[in-house]
Amino acid sequence: AMAGVLRALRAARPLHRRGLGRAAGPPSTRQLREAEEAAPVFQYAGKAARRKDRVFVWGFSYSGALGVPSFVKPDAGWKKPRRIQTTPYRLETEEKISSAACGYGFTLLASNTTDITKVWGMGLNKDSQLGFQRSRRDQTKGYEYVLEPSPIPLPLEKPQQTRVLQVSCGRAHSLVLTDSEGVFTMGNNSYGQCGRKVIEDEIYSESHLIHQLKEFDSRVVQVVCGQDHSLFRTKKGSVYACGWGADGQTGLGHYNITSVPTKLRGDIAGVNIIQVSSYGDCCLAVSDEGDVFGWGNSEYLQLASVTETTQVNVPRHLPFKIGKVKEAACGGSGNAVLTEEGNIFVWGYGILGKGPNLIETAVPEMIPPSLFGWSDFNSDICVAHIRCGLSQFAALTNRGELFVWGKNLRGCLGTGRMEDQYFPWRVTVPGEVVDVACGVDHMVSLVKSF
Amino acid sequence: LNAAPRRAPRQQVRFLPTPAPSGGGALELVPTMVPVLAEHPLVQGPRFRRLKIGAGHRLDVKASGVFVLGIGHGNKLLTDLYNCHLTKVYTVGGLFGKATDDFSDTGKLIEKTTFDHITREKLERILAVIQGTNHKALLMYSNVDMQTQEAYELAVKGLIRPMDKSPPIITAIRCLQFALPEFQLEIHCLHETQQYLRKIVHEIGLELKSSAVCTQVRRTRDGVFTLDDALPRTQWDLRSIQDAIRNCRLKVETEIEKTL
Repeated sequence: AMAGVLRALRAARPLHRRGLGRAAGPPSTRQLREAEEAAPVFQYAGKAARRKDRVFVWGFSYSGALGVPSFVKPDAGWKKPRRIQTTPYRLETEEKISSAACGYGFTLLASNTTDITKVWGMGLNKDSQLGFQRSRRDQTKGYEYVLEPSPIPLPLEKPQQTRVLQVSCGRAHSLVLTDSEGVFTMGNNSYGQCGRKVIEDEIYSESHLIHQLKEFDSRVVQVVCGQDHSLFRTKKGSVYACGWGADGQTGLGHYNITSVPTKLRGDIAGVNIIQVSSYGDCCLAVSDEGDVFGWGNSEYLQLASVTETTQVNVPRHLPFKIGKVKEAACGGSGNAVLTEEGNIFVWGYGILGKGPNLIETAVPEMIPPSLFGWSDFNSDICVAHIRCGLSQFAALTNRGELFVWGKNLRGCLGTGRMEDQYFPWRVTVPGEVVDVACGVDHMVSLVKSF
Repeated sequence: LNAAPRRAPRQQVRFLPTPAPSGGGALELVPTMVPVLAEHPLVQGPRFRRLKIGAGHRLDVKASGVFVLGIGHGNKLLTDLYNCHLTKVYTVGGLFGKATDDFSDTGKLIEKTTFDHITREKLERILAVIQGTNHKALLMYSNVDMQTQEAYELAVKGLIRPMDKSPPIITAIRCLQFALPEFQLEIHCLHETQQYLRKIVHEIGLELKSSAVCTQVRRTRDGVFTLDDALPRTQWDLRSIQDAIRNCRLKVETEIEKTL
């Protein structure tokens, strides 16, 4: 009996455990909770996390207008030249870009900094529309194609105080607007679009000449380039024009060339104009009361509501009953306006955005807001800005979404497809789109990251 | 159901022998209406021995809400309703700060993050992007040629939607409540699973530079059936089911006619 008790005691004593042996099995709720509370907390967004400003480009790249040299001349063996960039591609820039403009095969980016370099250009430079870009191989020659954003030296008097407000590009010329030193023009001047006297047989390529325009009735607040003409809008609400006038796009009452910026009269004399727009040979202006004035080419029924002629050389008031107009955008053959309520009205010729059946109309037609994402669910969505390329339209909503429609020339719409788009289509951009500039076959957008 | 009163049995004319009124032992054949014995309740037995019940769109074990069932002839209507491709509405609740392996709050914890920097504005921006990309997917999977006029007209009315199999698409999403760390979203979607919705909550957390888990998924509408039509647990009896079927019949018929 004694031996049996001893044996039982030895069995009951727990086995000698080395280290931290623990019973196996599923962890109890208490253990899970303790493990959770003991887990480290990661922080991904610091206190200084800011939304960054980015630039996205897409469209035809062989002209260099997209500013990505590896698309044209691949820098690695596995890369292939990319002729068309069909979806938005991020462009790295040194500074925050505040204004961008697309011309016919070239782009200008401007920043409102007080540093020495304020404007960068890329793309075609056969008429020195990007200024003189000294070639690195031969110091006496300049580049004809600029493949990445290169600084444009402006002859400023106070380079460390003046700020560049806005840039604009036409077919072969460009305008740079500064806050205190007037307007700088460069590029082709065969029609006087740079605002200086036309010199016969002038060679524009590799030219160092950048002209400065200062004589206006007040400070210039907006510059717009048409195909071969330039428009200047001043603070007082008057509009000046110079350049080619065979379609009446200078609005000065004649069909000749103007080489000095001259004030426009006609129906806008005395009217406070708050916005001017042009890209082809037709021009539109919006007054502070919401009226629309137009002049220039009317072969595509752009001004057919007031006249039967195909050219109008004096600004005429367009009597549209669509409400107060906030912004206008003029393309090559189609026009669009944005009203105070946030609706877009289109007229003219081409792909206007109301399906393939609407090719031309002289009277503005509204694009249904449901195409921009409006619904009973989101009834506060409306369009905030409207922009035009040569045969494309771009609309920005108040939620920061970009909608494009029109002819998809060499992939410039950015939808990822090569077909034309007959009604507004969303472009997927990773960020909130703040501004967009449309060209003939490429587009540039200024985006704020999330 | 079986206790409900039955149809009265059929009557038939039979010639029954009855004793003649004139006396004597002769039997006469007199035509009388008698019930058919084959339809007697004791012969036939219970009227319903089995009921065919079919289920509509799947609902997870962890989710709750409207679940559509079809009884008998309703099973055929279920396939028709599936082919209508109507949207479903969910109320999804989420919690910032945690990331788990199965995207819900009962899973194994993977990571904890800070979430103080999140504001309602940032959340709404992300929701707008989700809606935008899903709207594009809606148009692309609808198999309608974008170059035609009818595509434009359907897009204007908002009737473009995929009428075939497609990946899950969210047609509308908005934030109902926002109180850090919790938030609640209302999601209208097509062809989705509840796990996909939990994954969306997780991805929203990642976009906002934090992490999120899904605490609640509740279906508030399935096509034409809303929460008001749905019967709670206490009302799972014959009378309420019959009333519900009667109320919904008209809605279902109009919807099917409209779409197909």
